[in-house]
Amino acid sequence: MTASATQIAADVRARRVSAAQVCRDALARIDAANPRLNAFLQVFHDRALEQARAIDARMARGEDPGPLAGVPVALKDNICLEWGRTTAGSRMLENYESPFSATAARRLIDAGAVIVGKTNLDEFGMGSSGENSAFGPTRNPHDESRVPGGSSSGSAAAVAAGLVPVALGSDTGGSIRQPAGWCGIVGVKPTYGRVSRYGLIAYASSLDQIGVLAGMVDDAALALSVIAGPDPLDATSARRELEEFTHDPSTPPPSLVIGVPRQARAASHHAAVTAALDSAINAYKVVGARIVDVDLPHTDHALAAYYLVAAAEASSNLARYDGIRYGRRSSPAREGEAGEVPESSRAEGGLLDLYCRSRSEGLGPEVQRRIMLGTYALSAGYYDAYYLTALRARRLVKTDFDAAWAAGCHALLLPTSPGPAFRLGERADPIAMYLEDVYTVGVNLAGLPAVALPGGRAGEAGSRLPVGLQLVGPAWQESSLLRAARLLEAANPVPRTATSAPASS
Amino acid sequence: MFTRCPSPAHAGAVDAGPNSLIDAVVLALPGTLPVMNRVAVEMAMLVGLALHCRITPRTKWDRKGYFYPDLPKGYQISQYDMPLCADGWLAVPDGDGPARKIGVLRAHLEEDAGKLLHERPGGGSEEDLGFSIVDLNRAGTPLLEVVTQPDFTTAEQVVAFARALRNICRFLGVTEGVMQKGHIRFEPNINCTITLENGRTVTTPIVEVKNLNSFRSLRAAVEHEAAEQPRRWERDGRVHGPGAKRTMGWDDARGITIPQREKEDAHDYRYFPDPDLPPVVVDEHWLESVRSRLPELPQERETRYRAEFDLSPKEAATLVEERDVCLLFDAAVGALVQRHVPRPRAGRLAANMILQSGLKRAGERGVPVSELGITAERIAEVAALRERGLISAAAADELFGLLCVPPGSAGGPAPNQSVESIAGSRGLLLVRDDAALDRWCREAIEAQPQAAADVRAGRSQALGRLVGEAMKRSGGQGDARAVRERLVKILTEPPTEVGGSCS
Repeated sequence: MTASATQIAADVRARRVSAAQVCRDALARIDAANPRLNAFLQVFHDRALEQARAIDARMARGEDPGPLAGVPVALKDNICLEWGRTTAGSRMLENYESPFSATAARRLIDAGAVIVGKTNLDEFGMGSSGENSAFGPTRNPHDESRVPGGSSSGSAAAVAAGLVPVALGSDTGGSIRQPAGWCGIVGVKPTYGRVSRYGLIAYASSLDQIGVLAGMVDDAALALSVIAGPDPLDATSARRELEEFTHDPSTPPPSLVIGVPRQARAASHHAAVTAALDSAINAYKVVGARIVDVDLPHTDHALAAYYLVAAAEASSNLARYDGIRYGRRSSPAREGEAGEVPESSRAEGGLLDLYCRSRSEGLGPEVQRRIMLGTYALSAGYYDAYYLTALRARRLVKTDFDAAWAAGCHALLLPTSPGPAFRLGERADPIAMYLEDVYTVGVNLAGLPAVALPGGRAGEAGSRLPVGLQLVGPAWQESSLLRAARLLEAANPVPRTATSAPASS
Repeated sequence: MFTRCPSPAHAGAVDAGPNSLIDAVVLALPGTLPVMNRVAVEMAMLVGLALHCRITPRTKWDRKGYFYPDLPKGYQISQYDMPLCADGWLAVPDGDGPARKIGVLRAHLEEDAGKLLHERPGGGSEEDLGFSIVDLNRAGTPLLEVVTQPDFTTAEQVVAFARALRNICRFLGVTEGVMQKGHIRFEPNINCTITLENGRTVTTPIVEVKNLNSFRSLRAAVEHEAAEQPRRWERDGRVHGPGAKRTMGWDDARGITIPQREKEDAHDYRYFPDPDLPPVVVDEHWLESVRSRLPELPQERETRYRAEFDLSPKEAATLVEERDVCLLFDAAVGALVQRHVPRPRAGRLAANMILQSGLKRAGERGVPVSELGITAERIAEVAALRERGLISAAAADELFGLLCVPPGSAGGPAPNQSVESIAGSRGLLLVRDDAALDRWCREAIEAQPQAAADVRAGRSQALGRLVGEAMKRSGGQGDARAVRERLVKILTEPPTEVGGSCS
């Protein structure tokens, strides 16, 4: 297993180990594990080593290489990088090379991180299992017959398998927290506007947020402190001063109040989820936190509102993939007809026909489903009934959380999913898949920060699958939220990585 | 509007090649985001204020969705139901009648689309090309769409409004307003009410003519539709109503409107607020800081020129027609005042120079007076010489022409040579020698005794003949005004003394 990011950066900065050596080790682990996991879509063997050697050279010149000196980091492949390809897990962008790097990626690199590769994902971030990638599903390192969750499936699997200590993901409706839960690691979804979205390939602009997957809270906090902050290239990034995210973990938060929503417990849950919740509540009680009951009455509406708002925005955001300027363009319908201009753009060989064929060939079934759903929701005559109603429900969801903060809660404790990871192909029905997101989407609708962390293990035949919990905090309170997460991490230890887990049954 | 990319409407980007003024945001590359251009919003506010609009205190951006190759994102960022400016008006000249007040419904900002070319740049049709080509230089450029109320009854009113709007925009400095470059485009909506023999009326469907880029074609398109719509109604019987509106293009060569290539069969733009852009809040402080930058607008100037300089309505209107000419006039007035010419007189002198010597040459060269190459300083120098009686009117005009050369170009006077010295070196300075003046006058009286007798008898219209005669004798070096004064003086003296001085 890999050392933590905090440890690696400290060792590299103290010249106890070279960044190049750290990088070579990471690349060797990736090369060994990736054929089975399919966590990485690309590995930058040469470029990563080049970056690592540059860090070592800076050290040799006496320069400060930054807080992430020599830390190997993986990027979800919907985060643009000016080298390699940026595919968003889509056939449409199979060969797309971005001319610029995302602000978050740029900040990692400037802080001394070494980008070892791009990780697999559900196409354009649309999925909860990792099975919607055009380049094959990622497998869960804890049980390779199971999914790792999604859509940040590759980043979660890479961290859980110990291939990298830290990876970036994006969270639109739970895409960081749900796979973090199923892979038994930490996932941080920051407040909307905390991290620049410039260079994140948009799925749903009002919900998307880049965040961190890591083996432990400290590492996630370290990476978050690097990527967070205002960016003139993103009008929705908040002009807020950065707080200290990397607090001294030994300082106990004063009179911590943890709210547990009534909706966190349901009969349909896997028993291990309820057990994890109880275990965490006890752990908090032991360290002196107060546990209070809260109600999030609009939780049921959150899922419906999410799938309307996200689909509506996606239908617009993905309109640019028309095969005209870049991306996959369908070949002409018939040979020997070049030069003939069809009477109507709808006719075979016409403009509309080209759009339809390029998009049908380039975009996967789940993406097409959401585009159609969103187009319908925004259409004349349906806008009020669907989109506007969803926006109203979104406000109510936010009101639920506001009431909890007003009641004095510092954070809310919730499961990340109703159960542990399912087997590949097990959820064929899209609606059943959407239901997995019931605990995560509300946070995105309200724009709040949340931290997912290991909650326990579900003992299923021959395997011990991770079960995740999440702490949700008020907007811009990442600092105290991370502190509450550290406290739980220390008080309720759960075996973290997958290396000791038995192989798939 | 939402990118740092240079605009093709900017003077420095006039000759930019196709697709050279683009960036990742314009191209809608994955991961790019729009960021609002605050200056463009302020420019739009200036236009709104000049059109007496209400500036919306809190507005937003909306996405207007449609697929077309000139629209890289698959949607255009625009303002759907909350335009930045609303409910204004502009009074425009209406023939010989009183000014006509045209209502402004709204003015909203959006980003422009690119251009789709169905022909080769050097000619040839789409059939030859086999495909269409896209130039995205214009894509993403800020565009202010001004929508008027249906307050026009003639094509003249439409053109008068269009001209007034362009001039306001030029005074505000929000566009160069060069029609050929597409800086301003007009899209008139036209329909007619036909009164039948039985007294019943029918209203024809509205036709929107797209993308007119000259005042001439604007007038022609409106006139064409006004004439064509009753005939069209007789043919197809279609009347105004939901779904009846049509979009037409303008064939300038044939002078007719033609049905347009439709962008999509069904126009459902699926507007929704753009989640990438926060709402725009125009607070009092911002609005006042923009308002304080409003310059004096053409119609205010026109009124002032008439009052301050006693110019005729036509003179004042001509001076404010072009922003740069107007600024040249103002500067020339200022330079004359610096030369101790009283301000009202300075306005008259500068107006005479610009409206006579200037317009004549501008007409010959096909450029505005402001582009003739003469500076306000030089205009003032010439006018001041004339005012001091040192040069004739003809010489002033000649000097004006001499100074209409780009500074530093060959053949023209040196930039540091004073106009007086130029006039001197070219023999254009009037002779102020009283003896010479006296000689020319007396010779003229001798040559035209009948005229002299007439003047003495009180028939002063005969004085012109004597002035002409004296000027002829001066070889053009006499000042007509001084000659006239001297002649009057001589002819009103007792005759004996005249005779005596002749002997």
